[in-house]
Amino acid sequence: MNRKTFLFVGIVVALFIAAMAPFIASSNPDGLESAFFGIFGAKEIQGSTLDEEHAEVAEEHVTDITGNDFSFASPFPDYTIEGLAKFGETIAIILGTLLVLVIALGVAKMVQRTE
Amino acid sequence: MIIIIRTGESMHIPDAFIPLPQAALYWVIALIFIALSLRWARKELTEDRIPLVAILAAGIFAIQAINIPIPWGTSGHMMGAALAAIVLGSPFAAVFILTLVLIVQGVMFGDGGLTVMGANILNMGVIGGFVGFYSYRAIYPILRNIYPAAFIAGWLSLFIAALVTAVEMAIAGTFPLELGLLSMGLYHAIIGIIEGGITAVAIYLIHTARPDIISEPAGVPS
Repeated sequence: MNRKTFLFVGIVVALFIAAMAPFIASSNPDGLESAFFGIFGAKEIQGSTLDEEHAEVAEEHVTDITGNDFSFASPFPDYTIEGLAKFGETIAIILGTLLVLVIALGVAKMVQRTE
Repeated sequence: MIIIIRTGESMHIPDAFIPLPQAALYWVIALIFIALSLRWARKELTEDRIPLVAILAAGIFAIQAINIPIPWGTSGHMMGAALAAIVLGSPFAAVFILTLVLIVQGVMFGDGGLTVMGANILNMGVIGGFVGFYSYRAIYPILRNIYPAAFIAGWLSLFIAALVTAVEMAIAGTFPLELGLLSMGLYHAIIGIIEGGITAVAIYLIHTARPDIISEPAGVPS
């Protein structure tokens, strides 16, 4: 497979994964969140139900502990686009994938030129 | 409040989990490794390898969006540091790629905090990359087979990064040390199977498509 074909196939595979992601991804809390909710009593460590009310209290509690209340409004929070449901997530993740691709190519070319 | 934390995905630490002075310290450590990774890029990124780096970065971003369910009402996703380090033959490749991925995730999608991004780069890029790369180098000569070695290296990279995260959480006062290590270890021992599996499969696919661009045999000098 030559370089151009490899790049093309690679991009197609990455975009395919991106497009599929919202449809197959689980909305369960991830490892770190699950540990957090377990430790703060919103969930059993080995249980599968999350107590939403407790979860909210826990999130306020942790900010009190660390004092870090920094917040930042990202343009597409949690890979969503306002007003668009699942389709928006697909677009958001595809956009992100392309953005990472372009930035990676750009940075790689840039550091090469500084040689 | 709920938005700030729920937007985190897998090992991505949200802002609220680490006090600012500690977050700043992790940024300093991360910046040192980012500088070293740029030096790696200048020296090692030949014209032939740039497409591979870009594809790995894009692919790792995409696959990190897929949270796979594991037991106990939990989910986890691929990190990709071991994959990047093994394929490109340097732990700094993982730092380079994961830094780009984490910047886009944090800034564009609120996935992982900004003040704590240094910690996330340190855990996923640096710890993930170094553990993945050096465990692969240690295991490959014993097994003499790329794929099981890559699987174990992937598993270890995620598991160790999770334990380091638990220690950081203990220093931050967010998790008690023992319970943090136990729960992070438990979940990520399972998520590591996903990491190891995808690492091995991706290396197989890249190896099949372009046997020439993976350092032979995939990261280990012969």
